[in-house]
Amino acid sequence: MYQVNPQNKDQELAMSLLTDETRKHIDHWLAKYPIDQRRSALIGALHAAQDQNGGWLSEEIMKAVAEYLQIPAVWAYEAASFYSMFFTQPVGRNKIAICNNISCMLRGADKVVKYAEKKLGIKLGETTADGRITLVKEEECVAACTGAPMMIINGHYHENLTESKIDELLGGLS
Amino acid sequence: MTDATNKVEDNTITIEIDGRSVQVEKGSMIIEAADKEGIKVPRFCYHKKLSIAANCRMCMVDVEKAPKPLPACATPVMDGMKVYTQSKRATDAQRNVMEFLLINHPLDCPICDQGGECELQDVSMGYGRDVSRYVDSKRVVQDEDLGQLIATDMTRCILCTRCVRFLNEVAGTDELGGIGRGDRTNISTAVGQSVKSEMSGNVIDLCPVGALTNKPFRYKARAWELMSNAAISMHDGVGSNLFYHTRNGDILRTVPQDNEDINEAWISDRDRYGIHGFKNDQDRVQHPMIKENGHWREISWEEGLDTLVKQFKKFDGNEIALYTSNYASTEEYYLLKKLFTQLNSDQHEHRINQTDYSSDDRLPRVDVQLSHVAEQHKIVIVGGYVRHEQPILNHKIRQAWLNGAEISAFGPQAFEQNYDLLHDFVANQTQWVEKLGSLAKSVAEIKQDFPNGALGEWVKAQKTDEDINHLAKQLLKDSVNALFVVGQISQAHPQANLIKALVAWLAHITTGQVNELQAGANASGAHLAGLHAQGDIKQKEHRLNLIYQAELQDFADHAAIKNTLTNSDFSVVFNAYCDESLKSRVDLIFPVALLPELTGSVINNYGQRQVSMVAQKSPGETKPGWRVLRVLGNMMDFDGFDYEDINEVMTETEKYKLSNPIINQAVKPLEHVTKGLVLFAQQSIYDTDALARRSAPLQNSALASSDAVYVNEKDLLSIGFAPGDLVTVEQSGRFAELTLSVSEELPEGSAMIAIGRESTLNLNSAELNVSIIGVLS
Repeated sequence: MYQVNPQNKDQELAMSLLTDETRKHIDHWLAKYPIDQRRSALIGALHAAQDQNGGWLSEEIMKAVAEYLQIPAVWAYEAASFYSMFFTQPVGRNKIAICNNISCMLRGADKVVKYAEKKLGIKLGETTADGRITLVKEEECVAACTGAPMMIINGHYHENLTESKIDELLGGLS
Repeated sequence: MTDATNKVEDNTITIEIDGRSVQVEKGSMIIEAADKEGIKVPRFCYHKKLSIAANCRMCMVDVEKAPKPLPACATPVMDGMKVYTQSKRATDAQRNVMEFLLINHPLDCPICDQGGECELQDVSMGYGRDVSRYVDSKRVVQDEDLGQLIATDMTRCILCTRCVRFLNEVAGTDELGGIGRGDRTNISTAVGQSVKSEMSGNVIDLCPVGALTNKPFRYKARAWELMSNAAISMHDGVGSNLFYHTRNGDILRTVPQDNEDINEAWISDRDRYGIHGFKNDQDRVQHPMIKENGHWREISWEEGLDTLVKQFKKFDGNEIALYTSNYASTEEYYLLKKLFTQLNSDQHEHRINQTDYSSDDRLPRVDVQLSHVAEQHKIVIVGGYVRHEQPILNHKIRQAWLNGAEISAFGPQAFEQNYDLLHDFVANQTQWVEKLGSLAKSVAEIKQDFPNGALGEWVKAQKTDEDINHLAKQLLKDSVNALFVVGQISQAHPQANLIKALVAWLAHITTGQVNELQAGANASGAHLAGLHAQGDIKQKEHRLNLIYQAELQDFADHAAIKNTLTNSDFSVVFNAYCDESLKSRVDLIFPVALLPELTGSVINNYGQRQVSMVAQKSPGETKPGWRVLRVLGNMMDFDGFDYEDINEVMTETEKYKLSNPIINQAVKPLEHVTKGLVLFAQQSIYDTDALARRSAPLQNSALASSDAVYVNEKDLLSIGFAPGDLVTVEQSGRFAELTLSVSEELPEGSAMIAIGRESTLNLNSAELNVSIIGVLS
């Protein structure tokens, strides 16, 4: 079991970088856990910070989140680097994550990836030059196997993908 | 008695490991049972002092009726369990895990510092395959910069997370974490941070591979070339047990020696890297030297001692004075006392780092031994930064905090702690003592019982507030027996005896306990030898001065000792090191060995006598002090100096009996009238003794002090200078040029300097009034 050690009480970064809305969001998560298990609010807090920061987490904003939660900065880096839904590099306006776990793979996820890569002219993990679309590097199973192959665009599921459907979906993104 | 026995029996169960029956405590893990019985189970991530991670999977054992091999470190024992560590299923599992662990390991043993003492090497020899079947590419991990003390090769890391757990659980600093996921995980700091714990070096011992190694020791030697010498640390009053690793009589590194009662499995960085002071031998005295017409000449021991004997004979007993520090061996103190008794002088003092001489010297009061500190429920730290004064004691206080203890503190700085403080009463050097007085008043008012005499009057005159009353009420609860830890800031405080009397009274009235801390490894030895005098002997005139194992930096009152040395007829130094500022004020220098270079006993802060063995040969004509004093005694025709070897001296010092100290309650509190800033002369963590001061790795590390004077930001306006400016700290006509810096840990109206540094050698830490002025041209 980890130990929550005394932290620097300085809140300067948290107050200057996190908006009122983000802090309110974090408070919502903090209220759900006992104070000595406040590390549990981290994922919710990182999501809020990522949304505020144009879809990615800068080092500064991760530090700010840690500061606000009164936990070590390295814990924020650990969580942000562990989960594929957090981005530690700048991203495009739209995030497209193509599932390539077993069910989707059997139903042709590889072809979907190749088609999207070719169409956008970028590889997985890259962003288009105009900053419109980022192809998320990896996406594990999101429990939509009945509609495989599938992709997630900005948090919304799109299933039973075909080339024409992909064209339609990608074309509709601004 | 029967009850107790039953309880033990109730809590014990019997299991069988490799056919041997083992009695173990309920709830313990298989690996603990195996370790107890001496049965070897390979492991990387398991460590008896850290939490269980079970992530290396190396300790797989075969448990009867279990469907698959189980990790011994994370499988609790059950009555009648049958465990096999050598069965085919167990060894197959171990061999396969070993193969996985080596997949990404570079196998660069020939160029790895850990080679020869590597758990990965050993375990793979014992449990792995002899040939690698892996042909694909291996991952590479970018290196970290963890500062001056720890070298990194993170590609070698097998992700056991011992270092991460140590920093989280023991050091309490959380600097490292596991970044990334799966096979791309690496151990790293948060970007832009380094490891700053005062115990950081322990991760080197914990690391089972060559990922974290000892930076100053890097590429210096192979493990099999080294001899291990058991010794005791000379840097603090804990007396941590160590091994000095030497090659050809040179200490190359220090590692901890397990002692469950004292340092457990850890040592502080000061104990680990202090020995690098030996490398900095610019000021090392190699030969006896005499000053003639302002020039130094090397002379023989015979000539030097002859000169000294002639000088001794010129003066009457009390015209001769001795000043010694607290890091020599008891035997040296014992012989010094013998010498001075027969010289008819009682002018000898080891309390050179103190400033309050109004009470006689005594042993520190110690009610709670180190091994019981972690069991305390309430701790009040009075004037001390225990974390830097005695890192091992601080570790035990932290353990108490982890067990739920509440900790409060009084002091001149809001120190950064690795536990939460319930109260932190911070005020300048005079005012925090008054706050302690307020606590006494609050307690006295509740109990309707004031201290006697002047102390009582002084307590009555203090003001109380809500926070103080809160602490007072807590201390008076029936169930609470607080431990008051009186730190080294109190010990060196100009009102030390007032503080100790107050704490003794508080402990008496609240049924509490007291531990008083003292600086140096052997202050108790010096006291028991009798090297103390009445009052401050620096204030008296002496014609012949002896300095024994002390530099000017070791004195609290630099100004006075410089005067004393300059104004006497003759001054002689017995030191390992002698820098220019000391050299210019003395006439004769003898090179004597430091603790790692001699065999002798030291008595720690807690009254434990331990013997430290010689580890390193000393340079040039340096001799162990006891030999020099023996010859000197014989040349003076004094009785009782006919020793054949150190053991004969030790049989005599062994007889020292510790007695319970009597705390002087008849103190006279002084009203300090302070104008301007109040001085806080702090002995910083790496300025404690001759070796630590010279150790380059320590002095370049994050915790080292600097030539700066620290003030609170709010005082900048009245000071009239900006941070970074070179300023002069003025104290009754004495000056020190320092860089002005800001620290929010300091209260308003306070100025903190580091004593024990060259830059502050002009100041007297007993005088609290200072002002900050411009640089004198």
